[in-house]
Amino acid sequence: MKKKLVSLLLVVVMIFSLCACGKSKETSTKKAETKAPDATTEATDDSATKTDTSASTLAYKGDLGIMHFSTSEESQGNGGSDGFRTTIASWEKKNPDISLKQTVLANADYKTQIATLAAAGDLPDVFLLQGMNTREWVKQGLVLDMTDYIAKSPYADKYDKSKFYPFTVDGKEYAIPALTGGTCTVVVYDAALWKEAGFDTFPDTWDKVKEASKYFKKKGIDTIAFGNGGKWQANSCFLSTLGDRFTGPEWFKSLVEKKGAAFTDQTFVDALKFTQDIFKSDVFNKDFNAITNEDAREYYISGDAAAFIGGNWDVSYIQATLKDKPLYNNTKFAVLPQPAGATGDTDSHNIGLGYGIAINAKLKDDPEKLAAAIDLAYTLTGPEFANYVTDKYALSSVTKVDNLDLSKFDQFTQDFYNYSYVDHKPCEIYDSLISSAVWDVLNTDLQSMLNGDISPEDVAKNAQAAYEKNY
Amino acid sequence: MSENKTPSKAKNRPDHKVKTRVLAVFLNLVLIIFSLSCIFPLIWLFYSSLKEKRVFNADIIGLPKSPSFSNYVDILSNKDYHIFASLFNSFRTTIISVSLIIICGFIVGYILARVKFKGNRLLYVIFLMGLLIPIHSLLVPIYVVFNNTGLNNQWFTLIIPYVAFGLPIAIFLVEGYVKAIPVALEEAAAIDGSSFTRTLFTVILPTCKPILTTVGIIQTFGCWNEFSFALVLIRDQALHTVPLAMTQFTGQFSSDYPKIMAALLTTMAPIIVFYFVFSKQIIKGMVAGAVKG
Amino acid sequence: MLNSIRPKKWVIALYLLFPILLYVFAVFIPLITAGFYSFFDWKGGPNKTFIGLDNYATLIKDDVFWTSFGHNIYLVFACIIGQIGLAFIIVLMINSRLVKFKAIHRTFGFFPSTISAVYIGLIWLMFYDYKRGILNWFLELIGKGDQTKVWLNEPKLVMLLIAIPLIWQFIGYYMVIIISAISSVDQEIFEVAELDGANAFQRAIYVIVPLIKNTLLVCVTLCVAGNMKAFDHIFVMTKGGPGNDSMVMALYGYKISFAQQNMGYGSAISIGIFFVSLLVIGGVQFLVKMLTKEKGEI
Repeated sequence: MKKKLVSLLLVVVMIFSLCACGKSKETSTKKAETKAPDATTEATDDSATKTDTSASTLAYKGDLGIMHFSTSEESQGNGGSDGFRTTIASWEKKNPDISLKQTVLANADYKTQIATLAAAGDLPDVFLLQGMNTREWVKQGLVLDMTDYIAKSPYADKYDKSKFYPFTVDGKEYAIPALTGGTCTVVVYDAALWKEAGFDTFPDTWDKVKEASKYFKKKGIDTIAFGNGGKWQANSCFLSTLGDRFTGPEWFKSLVEKKGAAFTDQTFVDALKFTQDIFKSDVFNKDFNAITNEDAREYYISGDAAAFIGGNWDVSYIQATLKDKPLYNNTKFAVLPQPAGATGDTDSHNIGLGYGIAINAKLKDDPEKLAAAIDLAYTLTGPEFANYVTDKYALSSVTKVDNLDLSKFDQFTQDFYNYSYVDHKPCEIYDSLISSAVWDVLNTDLQSMLNGDISPEDVAKNAQAAYEKNY
Repeated sequence: MSENKTPSKAKNRPDHKVKTRVLAVFLNLVLIIFSLSCIFPLIWLFYSSLKEKRVFNADIIGLPKSPSFSNYVDILSNKDYHIFASLFNSFRTTIISVSLIIICGFIVGYILARVKFKGNRLLYVIFLMGLLIPIHSLLVPIYVVFNNTGLNNQWFTLIIPYVAFGLPIAIFLVEGYVKAIPVALEEAAAIDGSSFTRTLFTVILPTCKPILTTVGIIQTFGCWNEFSFALVLIRDQALHTVPLAMTQFTGQFSSDYPKIMAALLTTMAPIIVFYFVFSKQIIKGMVAGAVKG
Repeated sequence: MLNSIRPKKWVIALYLLFPILLYVFAVFIPLITAGFYSFFDWKGGPNKTFIGLDNYATLIKDDVFWTSFGHNIYLVFACIIGQIGLAFIIVLMINSRLVKFKAIHRTFGFFPSTISAVYIGLIWLMFYDYKRGILNWFLELIGKGDQTKVWLNEPKLVMLLIAIPLIWQFIGYYMVIIISAISSVDQEIFEVAELDGANAFQRAIYVIVPLIKNTLLVCVTLCVAGNMKAFDHIFVMTKGGPGNDSMVMALYGYKISFAQQNMGYGSAISIGIFFVSLLVIGGVQFLVKMLTKEKGEI
């Protein structure tokens, strides 16, 4: 009995000592926290950018919160993230009086937390606003109107104004597009394999693709690898571009601006019908609805598929993985082939900047802090960032860079640069605009539709209902 | 199952012996397969953590061709990952939460099982309700409540929901267990003049050791792996627990799973040891057969 | 009466005060807050519009919610049979005199429950994978290559395929509980039951079930509650797909709240989940009590 009593006592003592220990630790963690920024600046010092480190002119002293999703993992495969982290570090260094409190979460977790904070009206000072949330959050008064600040920006003349579209509501701009612009739909293909099949470049119609798929079938490989296991891929990396081919850009603009277009319009239903048909044909891997884009690109990398459809993020992964392998030099890029019956542009692809740097509306009451936040927003999207990502990765951002020397990059990078920014016509990314409520409904139905369990007409009808209810 | 294999009438000796042997082989085989399947994830986590990210993505289940510990080195040396700070936070949160769950669960469970008072059943139902809260769709109200009371983003923040949401399970397990203990035990103590509190801690507590150990084990892993509360209620990087710190290895479109696994194993090592120690305790408790029912 | 058996009210109140306060704060206040939100059209942010019971009217007519509810019920029954049933049988097997390595089996069984669902999900995704998966590889091996499927894309099979990892992962969880319950049972019962081989199981079930009835009932309650709010495995493995063919209530509520940012309706769904779960748990407890009573009489 005594033994048991002693052990119980021990537990109690342990708890109390831990509590006490916790309290004293609290202050020490606080200290560590304020120290942390210096450490990161030092760490990134050697890789620092070639920008002037002139002293800051900001009057504000104290905390400034920022939340983003450029985790260190993200920055390893993604030039935009790397640039973002680097630019933050350099800004911190220039503003030693401001203690920048960063909350960095993986993208999926970021979305959950930022939605919670928005719901509670407790957003961080500076954050990344997703295009499709703009309208709703602006309506809630959560986001600062940045129109004037954007006009007064020292880099205003260099901004690519077309990139502001997802962050514009009723003529007012609420964020500066951040990170890098990248295509969401690109066909990555093995030129050598397609040559074998009788095509010098990737076919420009789907009928020819079907033709080629007979050859690849005999060879025992898939023609095009695609992954829609996350449900969003069929929308972002296929329908968004394919829809443009059928409806033309005006339809989507009208949908965004609520000027009469509807999901149930015949041209969009045609696009859905075509999507259903093409996924029913043998062109894609059979398990496209059960695997993610990450799995699908492995099919391409391992040679199990002759082509792959995905976004710029997949291309950077493929590039890093294939380097030093023969497939690297054979890998080329193409836009989606034109579907039969489509009347729109034949070479469009959806590209844009999905997130923008936005500022909490509450900062209006604290002009000095606001000035600091604005300065941070300018820096994170300005020439320092743009030069870094252009120079290092041949990526473009909202701020135009003057003289880019493409020749120092290898063929792969040059090809992809030309694919993304030069050779083809941009169109909007569906889910950068309108409302998440609409896309979530559409994406779920789309997955069923590709299995043949629901008709394109019903998909359109449900999407339209969600659109009318939520937008 | 195998109940009908041996008709109990025909029981001549050698036949019975053969049947027993067949049964023994069968039982052992089934259990070995089951145990192997249970340990497989751990083995898989380990050998996957020795792979490079791209090798893992290309073949998730295969063995590494050129195993390396570079993921471990990277985790322990890279400051961005703040693995030690998060380890400390997780330890503190888990130890305090589990201790409180065990103590409170034991007390409340016992009272519900033994003490008759008005509202006993009501209290039971109220705790039952706690099991039914869909945490994932309640994150926003939880955040709002914690934010308005200023209890979010503190070192002790997570202990509150962990204890509250862990209590019901503990209470039910203790309640069910205590009900199977004969009342004679307390009556004897009462005759000796022992007070309620003394009986509770010197007579009942030792008896309940097996179930309390079980509660401890279940809750330790529950708290250790919990993610949603931590995500919503903690903003300071310095207060991140292990599962949150792990998100640093996750990118928007590609995650470094081998590194996550290396981190997972590194951080889980202490509690796995803990588990081995405590599972021995359970077995000891079994052999002792604390109370004869 | 004696103090230790009938303690004074204030002693009890004192003991209960802290747990109840903590519990009410962390569990009930958010629930009530959610109940409050559920009467609003609220897309997140400071502006809410009071719409009375409209969200609940929508909920009652929401096909996806009720399909999800059906899936949860399916999981509840699959897991009561699979998790608790198998756990009970395995514990009995381990207790058999014929089995070696008892300690190892007891220890290993719990392992899957210690690993978070993300990794368990990954392992099972690979098991079911179309091209690289073990299941299809095995089918090819035994010459049934024509039976290979894109498993998780089969609307009729997907719930079963998701139930299997869930069952497997948590067998150990219930094993630990049942083992500790059985430890309060006289070990001689096993020895008596052991005497005539295979029949032991039958006897053990009749002898042991009534003895640990309370704990089994708790297991059933935990199992029902756990599966009414199932989330992680499905989130990792299928995201509720294909379409909504593996959608469950908690995931649906999460999607509405976060992916669609419809916090008002999301709150109504949480309250809905809470009440239907309460009904189901009441029903199942009633059912189990009826069943065990009958068994006791035989």
